[in-house]
Amino acid sequence: MTAIADPGTLGSAGTPAVTLPAPRPSAFHTNLNLTRELAVTSFKLKYTGSVLGYLWSLVKPLMIFGMMYLVFAVFLLRGRAGSDFPVQLLVGVVVWTFFADATLTSVSSIASNGHMILKAYFPRWILVVASTLSAAMTLAVNLTLMLAIGLPLHWFHVGWQTLLLPLLFVELYLLILGVGLLWSALFVFYRDLGHVWEIILQLLFYGSAIVFPFILIPSRWQPWIALNPLAQIVEDMRRALVSTTIPWSSGILGSRLAIPVIGVLVLFALGAYTFRRLTPKFGEAL
Amino acid sequence: MSSAAVSVEHVTKRFRIPLDQTHRLKYRVSHPISTSRYRELLAVNDVSFEVGRGEFLGITGPNGCGKSTLLKILSRIYTADSGRVSIRERVSPFLELGVGFNPELTARENIFLGGAVLGLTRKQLAERTERLFEFAELTDFADQKVKNFSSGMAVRLAFSVAIQADAGILLMDEVLAVGDARFQEKCFDVFAQYKRDNRTIVLVSHDLGSLERYCDRVLLLQKGRLVADGEASEVTAQYRRIVGAMSNAEASSGTAALAAEHRWGAREVEVTGVRLLDGDGKPQHTFLTDQPMTVAVDFRVNAHVEEFVCGLGFKRSDGISLAGPNTKVARHRIVASEPGTCGTITYTIPEVALLGASYLLTVALYDVHLVHAFDHRDDMLEFRVADDKGRMGLVDLGGVWHDAAIEVDKGRREAIAG
Repeated sequence: MTAIADPGTLGSAGTPAVTLPAPRPSAFHTNLNLTRELAVTSFKLKYTGSVLGYLWSLVKPLMIFGMMYLVFAVFLLRGRAGSDFPVQLLVGVVVWTFFADATLTSVSSIASNGHMILKAYFPRWILVVASTLSAAMTLAVNLTLMLAIGLPLHWFHVGWQTLLLPLLFVELYLLILGVGLLWSALFVFYRDLGHVWEIILQLLFYGSAIVFPFILIPSRWQPWIALNPLAQIVEDMRRALVSTTIPWSSGILGSRLAIPVIGVLVLFALGAYTFRRLTPKFGEAL
Repeated sequence: MSSAAVSVEHVTKRFRIPLDQTHRLKYRVSHPISTSRYRELLAVNDVSFEVGRGEFLGITGPNGCGKSTLLKILSRIYTADSGRVSIRERVSPFLELGVGFNPELTARENIFLGGAVLGLTRKQLAERTERLFEFAELTDFADQKVKNFSSGMAVRLAFSVAIQADAGILLMDEVLAVGDARFQEKCFDVFAQYKRDNRTIVLVSHDLGSLERYCDRVLLLQKGRLVADGEASEVTAQYRRIVGAMSNAEASSGTAALAAEHRWGAREVEVTGVRLLDGDGKPQHTFLTDQPMTVAVDFRVNAHVEEFVCGLGFKRSDGISLAGPNTKVARHRIVASEPGTCGTITYTIPEVALLGASYLLTVALYDVHLVHAFDHRDDMLEFRVADDKGRMGLVDLGGVWHDAAIEVDKGRREAIAG
């Protein structure tokens, strides 16, 4: 430790190690770039090291589909579910897998990235968005495959009503972001919420008519179940894509359709507000 | 000053250290109305300063003084409770806490991720990766997973990413703990280049020597307060004095362990105590190099002895013997009085030549032939010396430097010119 800086070596070491500032990209561009890097990385990480790799994201929903098909269509409901039930179930499982994946990873997205949060400042919501995006990539592949196989086999009933599908995905994504922002911020301070969310997911799985046709719910209960945004979204997606014999949720809810839709917006606003309020405390809590 | 790259005004940061496990839901549920109990820690207390563009600022202070917290506030990882921080450039932080890499990713993938965090695009990074690996001396490991890296390799990689970030301000925490001496020199080369580009560096470090060598200005923090802000050499000198004073306080509060004394002798004359006094005659345990020090040995005569010799032994705490003055060599005769009398022998050093370290003092009373020990107290007392100039070695030899233009042989000079 007695080395003395030799002024002659300063900067003359061949290649300068420091580059002069390049034109700076805008904050929006920077954030977009980071979001993409994070999403791609977590997508990659999820499947590296396993032999089947990405195939798992197909195998898992197929397994759930197979199990549920066996239990509900073959054992329990027999003919009562209708001939298009397998396709309804498939849509339900694909959407559900996205919802469960996206929320589970986003809930822990802040807490599990402490090493990045303690390293440098960047807008923290990017972590939440990026974690949902890697689930969205899986969804995109699953949807593409489902349509590529299903369309030639006439599984789906495509018409004007199908145009509503993108809007329903926007609603679903807002729901996921709302949950993700709210839960990930609170999870930093209350770790029990991770378990709480897993329980809520279980409840939603059965409470959103994912694995059985909505119409099998006793009509007395239908309006209540349909108030659950996830049930409303899944049901309307089925209506838009699978069969026109399924009622729209608006038919069941009437003017009360506003409740799940506004519910999603309120949840998103609450999530964004909570997240914003708690962000400055992340550094200390992690 | 509008030209400041960083300005910090009255920044205060408290940490609340919870006394209960309030972050568990169980606690919240079972104690619904209790407000959480906390112990408050004032980590940064009303600190204000500015860093000019192109300035190389050092921040130092004892452990727990708040310097790392301050750096995290500048990096926006912590939020100040009150006060204002304004930063007019993009910041690239390099903080002590881990490296921020994902161990499952390769070095190259980590660079793209880490670079994106610091605001670099994939294209900008792609242009720099090779140079970056070269600087980190990791070219052969670019596609290895970071989990297989040694900690030194990982930190080198992280540092290399941080300096590539196109940032106007580098915030560096204990970067000098990175890598070997050679890599440190490379780091400082980079800092020099930053300075030439009129970019700003804030460096938190314990290494006073480096701070003196490279920083334009140093801040000294103590218990969260800014206690000094000025020329690097002045502030580091002040810090060294504070370190000295702190170990003094420790000694007087009884926490400094007394040396493990080894004592023998028939005690015809007995050492009853030894005191170290500063220039004003006040007892001290810590001295500054170049300051006066007096060793006062209290003795009591127990038996008839005509004459005795007093000797001292100065050892560094690791056992290296440094000096052994005694009254016989110095031809200073001590004639004993009647049994029962007490007295004091003093040994005054006008300027302590010892440099910063811990020392052990041995006190011994012998007969005039230095054969029979009356009272020999080995390693009787421990004391410290602090050096506020950062000199190297064991002692200051007190030499004086001069230089003169060297005469070049005329014929040779012509030979070179021709």
